[in-house]
Amino acid sequence: MNERQRFTRKIVYACVIAALLLPLSWLSQPETTESKGGMLAQMRAANQLSQAQLGEIDPASETIKLATLGMRGVAANVLWTKANNYKKTEDWVGYSAALEQIAKLQPNVVSVWIFLGWNLTHNVSVEFDDFHDRYYWVIRGINYRQEGTKYNRDSPRLLSDIGWTIAQKLGRADEKVQFRRLFREDDDFNGSRPLAQRDNWLVGREWLMKAEQVAARGVAVRGERPVLFHSHPVMCLVNYAEDLEEEGTFGEVAKNAWRKAAASWAELSNRDLPTLSNVFVRLGDKEIYDERSKKAQEELDRLATADLKEKFKAEKLASLTTAERDAYLAPADRRTTQQNELLYAVNDKMTIGHIDLAERVPGENRAAALKAAEEATFADMMSNLINIERDVVYYHYWMLRCQIEPEDSTLEARKLIFEADRAFTAAQLVKASELYDQGMKKWREVLDAYPALLKDASTTDPLVDSINHYRSVLHQLDEKFPKPFVLQDVLEADATFHGLPLPEGEQGSEAPPSGDAAKASP
Amino acid sequence: MASDVVVETRNLSKVYRDFWGRQKVRALKALDLEIRRGEIFGLLGPNGSGKTTTIKLLLGLLFPTSGQALIFGRDATDVSKNERLGYLPEESYLYRFLNAEETLDFYGRLFDMSAADRKRRTTELIDLVGLNWAKRRQLKEYSKGMARRIGLAQALINDPELILLDEPTSGLDPIGTREMKDLILRLKGQGKTVLMSSHLLADVQDVCDRIAILHQGELKELGRVDSLLKVRDETEIRARGLSESAQSEIRAVIERHQGTVLAMDNPTTTLEDLFLAIVRDSEARPGRRAKPEHDPEPNAAPNR
Amino acid sequence: MVHETDAILFADWIWPALLFFLEAAALLGLLALIGGFLVAAFRYGPMAGGDTAYRMIRTGLVDFVSISPRRIAALSWLAVQESLRRRVLVGFGVFLLILLFAGWFLDSRSNDPAALYLSFVLTATTWLVLLMALFLSALSLPADIKNHTIYTIVTKPVRPGEIVLGRIIGFAVIGSILLAIMGVFSYVFVSRVLSHTHEVEVASLKKAPNDPTGAQTGRTSSVLNHRHQVNLDEKGNGSTDIVQGHYHQVTTERDGDKVRYVLSPPRDLLTARVPLYASGLRFKDRTGKGSDRGINVGNEWKYRSFIEGGSLAAATFTFDDITPERFPEELPIEMTIRVFRSYKGDIEKGILGSLVLKNPRTGRASQLITFRAKDFYIDSLPISRKLTDPAGNSIDLFADLVVDGQLDIELQCLDDSQYFGVAKPDIYLRARDASFTMNFVKSYLSIWVQMLLVTGFGVMFSTFLSGAVAMMATLATLVMGFFKQFVFDVAQGSIQGGGPIESFIRIFKQQNVTTQLEPGLTTDVVKAGDQVFMWFMSHVTTLLPDFRHFDDVDYVAHGFDIPPDTILIQLFTALAYVAAVFAIGYFFLRTREVAR
Repeated sequence: MNERQRFTRKIVYACVIAALLLPLSWLSQPETTESKGGMLAQMRAANQLSQAQLGEIDPASETIKLATLGMRGVAANVLWTKANNYKKTEDWVGYSAALEQIAKLQPNVVSVWIFLGWNLTHNVSVEFDDFHDRYYWVIRGINYRQEGTKYNRDSPRLLSDIGWTIAQKLGRADEKVQFRRLFREDDDFNGSRPLAQRDNWLVGREWLMKAEQVAARGVAVRGERPVLFHSHPVMCLVNYAEDLEEEGTFGEVAKNAWRKAAASWAELSNRDLPTLSNVFVRLGDKEIYDERSKKAQEELDRLATADLKEKFKAEKLASLTTAERDAYLAPADRRTTQQNELLYAVNDKMTIGHIDLAERVPGENRAAALKAAEEATFADMMSNLINIERDVVYYHYWMLRCQIEPEDSTLEARKLIFEADRAFTAAQLVKASELYDQGMKKWREVLDAYPALLKDASTTDPLVDSINHYRSVLHQLDEKFPKPFVLQDVLEADATFHGLPLPEGEQGSEAPPSGDAAKASP
Repeated sequence: MASDVVVETRNLSKVYRDFWGRQKVRALKALDLEIRRGEIFGLLGPNGSGKTTTIKLLLGLLFPTSGQALIFGRDATDVSKNERLGYLPEESYLYRFLNAEETLDFYGRLFDMSAADRKRRTTELIDLVGLNWAKRRQLKEYSKGMARRIGLAQALINDPELILLDEPTSGLDPIGTREMKDLILRLKGQGKTVLMSSHLLADVQDVCDRIAILHQGELKELGRVDSLLKVRDETEIRARGLSESAQSEIRAVIERHQGTVLAMDNPTTTLEDLFLAIVRDSEARPGRRAKPEHDPEPNAAPNR
Repeated sequence: MVHETDAILFADWIWPALLFFLEAAALLGLLALIGGFLVAAFRYGPMAGGDTAYRMIRTGLVDFVSISPRRIAALSWLAVQESLRRRVLVGFGVFLLILLFAGWFLDSRSNDPAALYLSFVLTATTWLVLLMALFLSALSLPADIKNHTIYTIVTKPVRPGEIVLGRIIGFAVIGSILLAIMGVFSYVFVSRVLSHTHEVEVASLKKAPNDPTGAQTGRTSSVLNHRHQVNLDEKGNGSTDIVQGHYHQVTTERDGDKVRYVLSPPRDLLTARVPLYASGLRFKDRTGKGSDRGINVGNEWKYRSFIEGGSLAAATFTFDDITPERFPEELPIEMTIRVFRSYKGDIEKGILGSLVLKNPRTGRASQLITFRAKDFYIDSLPISRKLTDPAGNSIDLFADLVVDGQLDIELQCLDDSQYFGVAKPDIYLRARDASFTMNFVKSYLSIWVQMLLVTGFGVMFSTFLSGAVAMMATLATLVMGFFKQFVFDVAQGSIQGGGPIESFIRIFKQQNVTTQLEPGLTTDVVKAGDQVFMWFMSHVTTLLPDFRHFDDVDYVAHGFDIPPDTILIQLFTALAYVAAVFAIGYFFLRTREVAR
């Protein structure tokens, strides 16, 4: 090859390199104050993926990422394997060190923070026997995720997860009494937060509301139903009020707590919530839609005469097969199993839709009937959608509780029973007996005012425990269990819940059933 | 006398092969040589003629493909021969991070010399090569000439009987070249045997007793320098202080005796002529011992 | 700390190891000779081949005998000079940088910072030094050959073995110097980072409940992300609880009305316990029947086995060498007991357990010595020499219980249906405390041994490979050495996902390791290929040193003295490898044309 050829080739190479650089520049030119940068920079900006938008730029993390020389994936993989091994061999120092390093390698993967933080709070903590250690690891897991918010300040999922963990892990664990106590004493976590606010429910709610604020700025909440996402901070207030009472705080403080919870529920009722069918609903609007539906149906009924309906029904019946018709017409107690199976489909066939009916309305009324039918169908659908969302968060129940609990009689009833239980534990039998007596009477008032409470095991279960204590107190005092018993309906309701034989008054001579053993907590 | 033979090669051949064992270059073909004690032997040849290969084979840096290289009667791959041998490589392959004293001390230790011996020898040699003024400087600061000198000094550290010099004057200025040649002659004076390779004909001509001319791995010529170069039908006249008229007078005299004046100016290096003649001949008739137009003396043929 | 295998005594190890070494050396030597002969015979014919092989052995022996310490010293000195020229000190700079910024990468909330920091500095030192040894040793000789500086060496009366050995020693020397400096810096770093004291928060001091003497409890200020509970007696002296593996002693200074509480530096933070481990551990099941293991409570890791509380189940540790000279006052028992609760029980209280000291021959036993188990922590339970038996008679430990230095210690869990988990090293006698500094030095010695190994392999590979390739080969040795067990496991198929080809296919197809590959010819070929490859790899790996055996970081990190036997075994293993790589390096360099 001669000099000229060599030269030509060099020129060609240079041209090819230059040509390849063009798309590279188009792709990856960095963003500056003047220009928007290349394709990648623009995509980063559009999807809010640039480091500065996500959170802090941590030199340590950047150094580690650089030091892996593009082998970050491999390094992360090795670390995960190592972490798993540490976990298996119960080397918690090594485990948490590996976790920190993983986080430094993958600081912007929110699920890493959540997953590993969960591991610390829920899986590592329970390996330890001493609740102090357990508390330490729960807090470590929370701190770990808090660290993650530095790098991902706009992740509602991470913020919500932190709030949820502070609230639920500390407030619902087996060790909740100890955890809540340690949390109140924890100056290191709480810093200068005043003692009155050092409650895991309230602190957790702060984080949950941060998550809501971020979501309100338009950041999508992924992986959680909106109604649930927004119910967490509300439920924190409810749980806070419940735990206040459980730990013996009543009076104005408890009342206020319940009122606040009620207000929060009311607020949630008025919030526009997206549903799975992409329709926005408000939890509180169901009654409005029910009313609209009722009105529209009345209108439709007015337009479609009774015999039109009967005729329609007869037609439908005629269109069924013999077996279906038999199943439909058979009296409920005579139906065979097969017929019962058929019935679901048959009922569906026999249902008369508003629109179908409206279309049969003759003459000039037809248009008006169709309009009414559409209105009714729409209102039914909305009511139905709201109902689904309501069921997800036990709307009815909590609304009821929030209504009942701040009332003086309820507070009084709960206080009396609480004090009676305390007297019982302290073996002050006479005092306990009196307090139980008063408390149960108070409960009678509450239950009479709100009989719906009887359908709720979380109300009856603790009451039944207390009734058992009462029974035991009376037994020790050589007194007879009163008959008729003032809360007999509670015992009956409890027996129904747990599938026990109905209690038949009092069998005075028998040994009192041990309260704890008789009850299987749900 | 057999003991007088310091270096002997028998049918020494070297073929360079590539990774797969395929033959690439025949660097040396069936070389037979004998170098005797006390002589300065020159290996002459153009670049790539096999001089350096020969030296490397003699040193055991390469293993022969066939044939044998013997030094002091021992196989060239035998390490113990190195005790009595000094080698100046083609370029000074020395550790550039050491200074002159450290270098010589280090090589002295490789000969298992005692500390006192090393110190004495180091001082002597640094004096000998005239580097006393730079003995504390790292070799990386040395000029090429200085590096050659320290290279020579390391070759002499063990006071060797046989010294192999690969292109000893390459890269040296005229004064350096002269000093090197003087040193080589001085070594001969001390009874040492010197084997040197060079492509600089003047050097070889000046100092060597015998030379071998290699071309393309083949031995082309071997013999005493003086006899190789003696051209019997030519007479060289050298004179000083002749005037123009005196010169023309001499021309006239030569012509009168039916002689032809070939040239009358500064004498040429006739080895160069010989060399070029051999190279030309070798290229014309490869694989044959050179037959230049002017026959060398019969007794210049190798003694076998 | 965790010992998954029993410690080996040097005296038990050396003779079989030596025998194995000699056998392996003889076998490999023979194989090399046959191989060498075959190559030579193929090239030059059988006669010349035989001659070459013979000369090889002869000169080998001669060279070995005529090795000169002075030449080796000179070559070592050269290697040191060369290393310095190659800016080996840059590595030290990197180390300092790492120490400076260690705080960035280390978990400041760790509940055992001593373990974390110690293992960090030791691991960082190990990797830096090994990398440096790798670079220096693998690149040096090839560079010499490339620069032709080797010409002036091999034309001196230098034996190839001396070149190899000189380099190994030289780089080992520079590595040692570097290690020494790093060691000093690490030591200062760790002790400075961990050294701290607290203030007693006076406002937190309260009278201890149910204690008429005037003792007080309170807490200290938070320093280095932790604080302690303080327990003071009526005079104001006392100590803190153990947090992050240490405690402080508290003394009170009174100056008129002013009261000042002074906390000592951390105690038990940097220690080197010398444990006397049990020689045997037996279990009894819930019916009192003997067995080798207890119950598995569902852990994947089978290290500890569990005994059921409130039953006859027990774990009996047998100790040897218990003498009055060693333990004149008391038995300093320390234990780490895992707790597994099958029901919640009383959360505020630990699970109750008991130890009984038993005469292994007569079965005579002490009274129950009860304790509440501290899960995951080392609990010390010193037992006085004067004991009482269950009947209340006083007995003497040595007179009544110890027979020929032997003693049984029986562990039981007393709470019904709760479980204790133990392994043999979990209950030991803390015979004495060795110097932490010496232990630190010992751990550096094990790093030194690893460095020597890497250097040896690096130099060996560099005698016949070019620089970059030699480096890769050494790196491969190192990596394979660290993953030796993994390679064996893959070869035996006990790791899911198959060998390298299968794994590659799985990665490429994004297939989970547990899914079956589609049966068929391709799968069979892939599996067969993997098997052949892994057969080869596992045999190669067998020859390589298991680098994890040289890792003593855990001892230091967990505050245990590195047994001298372990160090000796490591040292001798390394020497054996160095001898082997020296021999291999010698023959490769000997047969190499350095001028090619």
